[in-house]
Amino acid sequence: MQDLLYFSQQLINGLTIGSAYALIAIGYTMVYGIIGMINFAHGEIYMIGAYTALIAITGLATLGIAWLPAVLIVALICAMIVSSAMGWAVERTAYRPVRGRHRLIPLISAIGMSIFLQNYVHLAQGSRNIGFPALVEGGLQFGSGEGFQMSLSYMQITIFITTVICMTALSLFISRSRIGRACRAVSQDLGMANLLGIDTNRIISATFVIGAALAAVAGLLLGMYYGSVDPLFGFIAGLKAFTAAVLGGIGSIPGAMLGGLILGVAESLTSGYLSGEYKDVVSFGLLILILLFKPTGLLGKPEVEKI
Amino acid sequence: MRTPVRKITTAVTAAAALTAAGQACAEIQIGIAGPMTGPVAQYGDMQFSGARMAIEQINETGGVLGEQLVAVEYDDVCDPKQAVTVANRLVNDGVQFVVGHLCSSSTQPASDIYEDEGVLMVTPASTSPEITERGYELVFRTIGLDSMQGPVAANYLASLKPEKVAIVHDKQQYGEGIATAVRDTLQKQGIEVAMFEGITAGDKDFSSLITKLKQANVDYVYYGGYHPELGLILRQARQADLDATFMGPEGVGNKDINTIAGEAAEGLLVTLPPSFDQKEENQELIKAFRDKGEDPSGPFVLTSYAAVQVIARGIEMVDSTNPFEVADALRKGSFETPIGTIEYDKTGDLESFEFVVYEWHSDGSKTPVNQSSR
Repeated sequence: MQDLLYFSQQLINGLTIGSAYALIAIGYTMVYGIIGMINFAHGEIYMIGAYTALIAITGLATLGIAWLPAVLIVALICAMIVSSAMGWAVERTAYRPVRGRHRLIPLISAIGMSIFLQNYVHLAQGSRNIGFPALVEGGLQFGSGEGFQMSLSYMQITIFITTVICMTALSLFISRSRIGRACRAVSQDLGMANLLGIDTNRIISATFVIGAALAAVAGLLLGMYYGSVDPLFGFIAGLKAFTAAVLGGIGSIPGAMLGGLILGVAESLTSGYLSGEYKDVVSFGLLILILLFKPTGLLGKPEVEKI
Repeated sequence: MRTPVRKITTAVTAAAALTAAGQACAEIQIGIAGPMTGPVAQYGDMQFSGARMAIEQINETGGVLGEQLVAVEYDDVCDPKQAVTVANRLVNDGVQFVVGHLCSSSTQPASDIYEDEGVLMVTPASTSPEITERGYELVFRTIGLDSMQGPVAANYLASLKPEKVAIVHDKQQYGEGIATAVRDTLQKQGIEVAMFEGITAGDKDFSSLITKLKQANVDYVYYGGYHPELGLILRQARQADLDATFMGPEGVGNKDINTIAGEAAEGLLVTLPPSFDQKEENQELIKAFRDKGEDPSGPFVLTSYAAVQVIARGIEMVDSTNPFEVADALRKGSFETPIGTIEYDKTGDLESFEFVVYEWHSDGSKTPVNQSSR
């Protein structure tokens, strides 16, 4: 019983982080699916989302507004708006001018953008860790008396629920809406979609905006869950989310979700049963194994050579 | 063709060096190298403010050998790679004396360059023993060693009669070094170390680690590292209802841990150099800091002040700015500083340095704990 509780606790820890990775991974995978480039500045968009949320929360606190749902919703909306605008602007300034050139050029442009945004936040907000107020506190306890007690905090529940809502909304959006259908068309064949009258530039912008908005949600959630933000924390999260996207099959949206969850659970079980030192070894080892035996990722479709 | 070209280059370099030396003669440059930006910049602030104050005050009283001291400041971001760049720049700029660096992992690679290039270094904050273990001639400190700080922490923990202690570190030179010192001392005293584990600096999610600590049912956790990670561990441990007391080295003892951990920082144990700013004889100096609007209570403010003083006194003793001669003087002399009387052993370490255990509070203040059992 004890061991089972311990295992479940580590599983919950992993799934919490995994859901957030999945939210960020969507941004990588959608952009790759449509224009075949890796947006390395995506981790920074997530970081900016977290900072915006923090600024909004602090602002509301000084205004004396403390009703929790209102604070969370306002923070979420602010973060999503700022991040989406950022995602759109990044695409316009750094990627569109070099689209269609050699693959390496947008990649370098993305890395440059990432460094620029990181340093911008450094200058604007300072380089120190800033504490995030703990808004959602408390939780449920399982297990009796003396032994190990499993806890499921309300914050973790919030993360699960928000992720499920976002993912469902995204799936519906992609499968039912006009823009979603256009997205799928563009990802199948950009040139042909263009010929059929789809404004591909608009669709590509929309992809960046959607990815950025989801990253902002993750920024707010993880900022509150971890408890602090700093200008560099987008980099590591971005790297992990990128791994998740590749693990699940880059270009595939369900793949990004699955990849995020697997990565989160793998990390948490490794630090739970082996040692925290091996966490990154195992998660990146997993990535190498999957790439060796299934190069398109778990749910990725093999690329068909277009003639 | 090759030889003449090389000769010309040598001549040009020599000429450049002469001009540089000529400029340096007018004043004595003191390099201050530490993190101005980055996650541990608040420690850098202490270092810069202490060193600047010392330079200012020495200049007011006529300088050194009739020359003014000039501060040249460099930012190493507490990053070993940047530290090497900074060290090279400093050598290029013709600086011969350095107060720095702050993080042990930066001091170590930078000191290789200083030793090779004949620059005298006094670190006011790096406590890793390895820095002075290599027999370098030009490396000094105005702070104690992990091998002194670790046992103080471990002996205090042992005096609390813990059942199980866990030790966590950030896998960096400073954190792992001090964690190892604590573990070794605890084991010598026969106390069970239930866990000895590393985390990754910069990580934010410690839920798995905390679950593990809960499962192991430890009553004390020692953390070797800096405050950004410990702050998060404290906060996340509180949310997960982990019932254990945490302890850390001076790298966690600053007010930023309160902005991260909030209430959870209450009751944290920290080993720190004694509060030099509370000493009777330093009150005039402390007032000078407060008049400038600076906070003298940080652990590295007065050690940095002392580092500048020691360099200045050394130069005066030998009446020369040759770093090697100054280094000899430092090993022989005895220096009165705000952190007490300083004497050096052969390796460049202080003959003695005291660490004290404090209890940290959630408002950022600290109180010394009763160590009657020691």
